[in-house]
Amino acid sequence: MSLLKEFSRIGRDLFLSGLVSSHGGNISIRAGDKIIITRRGSMLAHLNKEDLIETGLYKDDSGIIMASTEIIVHRAIYFNTSALAIVHSHPPAAIALSLFMDEIIPIDSEASYLLHKIPVIATKETIGSKDVANIIPDYLQEYKIVMLRGHGAFSIGDILEEAYMLHSTLENACRIIAYGKIFGNAFKEYRKDGDKYTKW
Amino acid sequence: MGKILWVDLSKQSFQIKPLDKNIIRDFIGGRGSGVKILYDHLKKGTDPFSEKNLLIFATGPLTGTPVPMSGRFSAITLSPLTKTILDSNCGGNFGLQLKHAGFDMLVIEGKAKKIIYLAITPDNIKFENAEDLKGKTTIETRNIIEKKEKKKGSVVTIGPAGENKVRFASAENDGRFLGRGGIGAVMGSKNLKAIYAKGDKKIKVADPKSLEFFIYESRKWLKANPITSTGLPKFGTAVLMNIVHEAGILPINNFKSNQFASASDLSGEEVTEKLFIKKRACYRCPVACGRITKTSSKQGEGPEFETLWSLGALLGINDISWVAETGYLCNELGLDTISAGSTIACAMEMEEKGFISVGLKFGKKENIHKVLKDIAFRENIGNEMAEGSLLFSRKFGTGNESISVKGLELPAYDPRSAHGMALAYVTSNRGGCHLRAYMIAPELLGIPKKIDRFSDNGKAGLVAVMQDSAAASDSLIICRFASFAISDEYFSRLLSAVTGEDISTMNFRLIGERIFNLERLFNLREGFSFKDDNLPSRLILENLNKKRKINIDKMLNEYYRFRGWDDNGVPTSKKLEMLGLK
Repeated sequence: MSLLKEFSRIGRDLFLSGLVSSHGGNISIRAGDKIIITRRGSMLAHLNKEDLIETGLYKDDSGIIMASTEIIVHRAIYFNTSALAIVHSHPPAAIALSLFMDEIIPIDSEASYLLHKIPVIATKETIGSKDVANIIPDYLQEYKIVMLRGHGAFSIGDILEEAYMLHSTLENACRIIAYGKIFGNAFKEYRKDGDKYTKW
Repeated sequence: MGKILWVDLSKQSFQIKPLDKNIIRDFIGGRGSGVKILYDHLKKGTDPFSEKNLLIFATGPLTGTPVPMSGRFSAITLSPLTKTILDSNCGGNFGLQLKHAGFDMLVIEGKAKKIIYLAITPDNIKFENAEDLKGKTTIETRNIIEKKEKKKGSVVTIGPAGENKVRFASAENDGRFLGRGGIGAVMGSKNLKAIYAKGDKKIKVADPKSLEFFIYESRKWLKANPITSTGLPKFGTAVLMNIVHEAGILPINNFKSNQFASASDLSGEEVTEKLFIKKRACYRCPVACGRITKTSSKQGEGPEFETLWSLGALLGINDISWVAETGYLCNELGLDTISAGSTIACAMEMEEKGFISVGLKFGKKENIHKVLKDIAFRENIGNEMAEGSLLFSRKFGTGNESISVKGLELPAYDPRSAHGMALAYVTSNRGGCHLRAYMIAPELLGIPKKIDRFSDNGKAGLVAVMQDSAAASDSLIICRFASFAISDEYFSRLLSAVTGEDISTMNFRLIGERIFNLERLFNLREGFSFKDDNLPSRLILENLNKKRKINIDKMLNEYYRFRGWDDNGVPTSKKLEMLGLK
């Protein structure tokens, strides 16, 4: 599969599943000492060849002016983890929960197995932010996906599809938590050691 | 504080040394700690068969704990087959007993004057005369020593092949094998026929409650994943045969083809229906992929997927009972089945070309058992074949008949149909091995996700990350098959709970990267260079699939850059400094 096809597939699904708005979100992969990242302001559902920006991982080149606003965070993650792919999305239910919680503990089965726990971190400036770039990689040392309060999620993977899956799972998990809260009754624990997920 | 039992066979003496806590911190245990000690103590250019070569048996922090799939141990040495660093990993109970005896690691140097076996218990280290075991098979040796020692422990043994320094001789332990690269030959070169270990010391963990939770979470995935819950338990490793063949990945007739109409005769389904007696599990393994099998005339261990391929499909043979019996024979003689089968395949091609006349022909079983015995006893043409396929084909053929990388014969995955595997083979530090980065997982099985196996794009980073991950998990030690269901984020948490140190997933991978780079430095010191990071010409020039050819140079360039190595494949100062190796 060509790189464009792979980016397009993931970008389209991010939009169609409501994980990003028309021009929101960004995705990248690491290729040797290069980073290939979506263009600033690109529409993830309609990526074309010119929307894939190749620039230096360790140093700037002219490609930087076209790169996503979040390249500073992507670079920081690649510097500090063994990630080969990064997805950043704005999942609505997860963002809503992040405004009220310090960590998200899924209650559904799929996310319990896959994620266990999603840390929520907060910074005053959230877009293209040095603060975010400084903090997020620390969390990604331990967790494959983290929530930035009020902004969105960053995930890492060895493969782009893997990083994307984590957003889809997270958003589903958050919708389920939200639906549960609408019902208002106390949650009935069905998992062994469910109370230990906070220690993951 | 860990302990090393350091044995000098020349002096028949031993010392008990503390295991440096920095080594544990930076290299974990198992493969990692063994590589570090070998690198520090072995001088450049040491002959693998000299007294100075070290043979290291290492346990890991998970050994003896209740962590599933952790019942394995490592052996590390300078390989007599490849002259590279070698680690081999085995599912017998020797590591468990060594740890129960109070030792994390056993380092052996020197050479005994006569054939001996070593007996290790918490109170005593004995050097026992083993002249009477000369020429005995692995299984005979194990049975005799178990009787002599009375208490049921665990015995690592070699067969005649190891005694005769066949360069791909294996070592046996409880029906499992240190298969690749010639561990058995190094034991033979030291006149060490066997090692017995037995202990009863308790193995403690730092945080039992957290460990229990992480084990439970791991078991959930092992039970849920169809590979670890059903495929491997039901059919053994042979479950891979049909899938690998149908994908055009199974090499046939010495990699001349990838089509074998009778491949399904060698499948897991056939092993189960025609040979199966019972399952066999390593210590604490819920998967139990091992097999005890029986033909009309014999009973034994296996055959594993790789054996069904190397002694069957690779030679154009589909008689499953015969393949099983040939596997038993290799086990008894102490021959690595992959290298043995591949060297026979190499000889078949050389005979086809008229270079030799031994009576070996693709699709024919005749003479194969005799040649295997000749290899083990170094008789007739077997004496030359015992040097491994590469030296053999260079001496009698063109050199191209050996399908190997750095002298290690390739396993059952044709890299022309899985390009990431090609890169994994050429960059593997022990030569052409599938277990340093099992790219079949993403390229065929879709773990963690399916990728295009005929593409060269994006493979470099993935191979490097998988190599690092494998190096770290080989140091824990945990079975490679665990990775089908659980990943580094589980391994790092299990390690943290056992040691009491907070080890993040990324630090776990960083340790793996450190180990992999140190192995690379070892090989560079021994004279290897980027020129050795190459595939046999057949695999580059011949377009078996009428699909895209492998562009190994493109992938290698990207790989070196990703690794922070220079254009010659040498780790840069900056990289070594970052890894704490400078």
